Amino acid sequence: MKKFMALVLALVLALSLVACGGGAASSEAASEAAPAGELTGLTEAIFEAPILLTSGGQSADYQMIGTVMGKLEMDVEIKNLATSEDLGDAKTLIVVVGGSSKGLGAAGIDAEAELARMMELIDAAKAAGVKVIAMHTGGSARRGDLSDSFITPTFEKADYAIVVEAGDEDGLMAGICTANSIPCDMIASISDVTTVLPAAFVA
Amino acid sequence: MEKNKKLISGVLCLVLAVAIIVTTSMNFLAVREVPYPMMGPSVSEVKMLSDWNPNLKDTNGDTPVYILKGEKEGGSMLILGGTHPNEPSGYMSATLFIENAVVEQGTVYVIPYVNHSAATHNDPGEGNLQYFTLTTKSGERTFRFGSRATNPIDQWPDPDVYVHYPSGQQLSGSETRNINRAYPGRPDGNLTENMAYGVMELIRNEDIDIGFDLHEASPEYPVINATVSHQVSMDIASVGCMNLLMGGIEMSLEQSPTNFHGLTHREWGDASDIRAAILMETANASQGRLRGATTIEQVLGGRDKCYTKSLELGFLYVPWEEVGHPIEERCGRHLEGIKQYSLAHNEVNPEEPIVYSGVPGYQELYLDATREELDGTHLAKFLM
Repeated sequence: MKKFMALVLALVLALSLVACGGGAASSEAASEAAPAGELTGLTEAIFEAPILLTSGGQSADYQMIGTVMGKLEMDVEIKNLATSEDLGDAKTLIVVVGGSSKGLGAAGIDAEAELARMMELIDAAKAAGVKVIAMHTGGSARRGDLSDSFITPTFEKADYAIVVEAGDEDGLMAGICTANSIPCDMIASISDVTTVLPAAFVA
Repeated sequence: MEKNKKLISGVLCLVLAVAIIVTTSMNFLAVREVPYPMMGPSVSEVKMLSDWNPNLKDTNGDTPVYILKGEKEGGSMLILGGTHPNEPSGYMSATLFIENAVVEQGTVYVIPYVNHSAATHNDPGEGNLQYFTLTTKSGERTFRFGSRATNPIDQWPDPDVYVHYPSGQQLSGSETRNINRAYPGRPDGNLTENMAYGVMELIRNEDIDIGFDLHEASPEYPVINATVSHQVSMDIASVGCMNLLMGGIEMSLEQSPTNFHGLTHREWGDASDIRAAILMETANASQGRLRGATTIEQVLGGRDKCYTKSLELGFLYVPWEEVGHPIEERCGRHLEGIKQYSLAHNEVNPEEPIVYSGVPGYQELYLDATREELDGTHLAKFLM
């Protein structure tokens, strides 16, 4: 009898855990594409234009991604210092993360204010139902204390991530995506953005 | 007899002293001789920087400007080597360009030693070399290894604090002799400010569209394997940097800070109508604080045991392998960068293109070389 009761309790516990897991998924895409514990890429196009592209840390990586998107004729507005007021009718927000002290100087903003700006924008986007793509394309040159301070909060709130693998040798971004069931495509080079990024958008 | 002995020893000492004085004086004066590039196929004229700033005439700050003119009219490009003559990939890239480029459209101005005065001394306190030699197509050629700053014989003493004109920015007094803190310069300033003013006058009077300033830095410096661009040229720099990355060359792109004055990537854009102001940095072990003794293998071969150890300890910001950063790789990066950024310029400004060929790039200089040749031996094959 005791064994039977223990089995029933274990079954109830397991079912409740499954129910909790389903409700805790951070995004539609994640629940469809990435079971927790395994890093999975995006399986279908779920993002829509118009797109707002911004920087996360003021490295020039966002400008290079903007150049690529321009060449691909994607419907994108580029604002390195975008705030919630710039969201307009955007359906997707792309944050290209990478800290640069020169870039922060050029933008006239310090790291603390930059992080506050990013979080205000990302939170407003999430509240408005705008999907968020986090990108890290600068490789190992865009890692370190400054960049990492922007990576963690952005990736935790993303619906999808694209990462140049040379920048994630320690598994920081892969770990965040895995832990939060965020689909993540690891790419060998920034040139692969030309294939994975358009594939994420509904034609 | 005793008197004669004293006289003889006195004369001998005097002769010895004179011999030492003559030898060291000759050596001291020889350092002032800067070996210039040979005339490549497109060099149409060699002017002096004093043609744009007469204050430099008959000073050690005057320097040759090689003009490579294409058959067709087009845009204009400026390449600076030797901003810091202790960064050999800068002036060696300029030399390779002058001796190999066939300019088809537009005009290219190349200044191999923009701070000529800094090329006429070195930093003995750093244990630096004075010269290095390469066996080129025409035989053995000697190149100078200079200093970061203007020769104190030409400009001295330094103030305690250097106040940049016109911003009023304050830096360490030794930066007074650093031409890359002196732009836009001024005609009534010191020699270094006059050199910078000469370059600015060249840019303004020749309507330079795109300008490059070629540098090296210590491997532990964060802005390494990098391009820094004025905001006016971020469109061109983004396209060019993407193309470099797609070609397998690691390069990061930085926008020039608006509040750091005196540098080419800031002041060229602020003080002229230039369309692109670009500075590139490669990694040079012989400049680093972590290095061992300064040797020719380190300067040209780019190898250093202390840097290999530093990598193990996690002190470096650039990938480091035992092969190091040989001069072929460093010049290859600069010349490939000039090519890709000028192509990007042509894409953005198709009405005024700059078209050239014949200059070896990353593939020819670095990837095509055997490991044994990566010490200047392979690079020398492209020198006249």
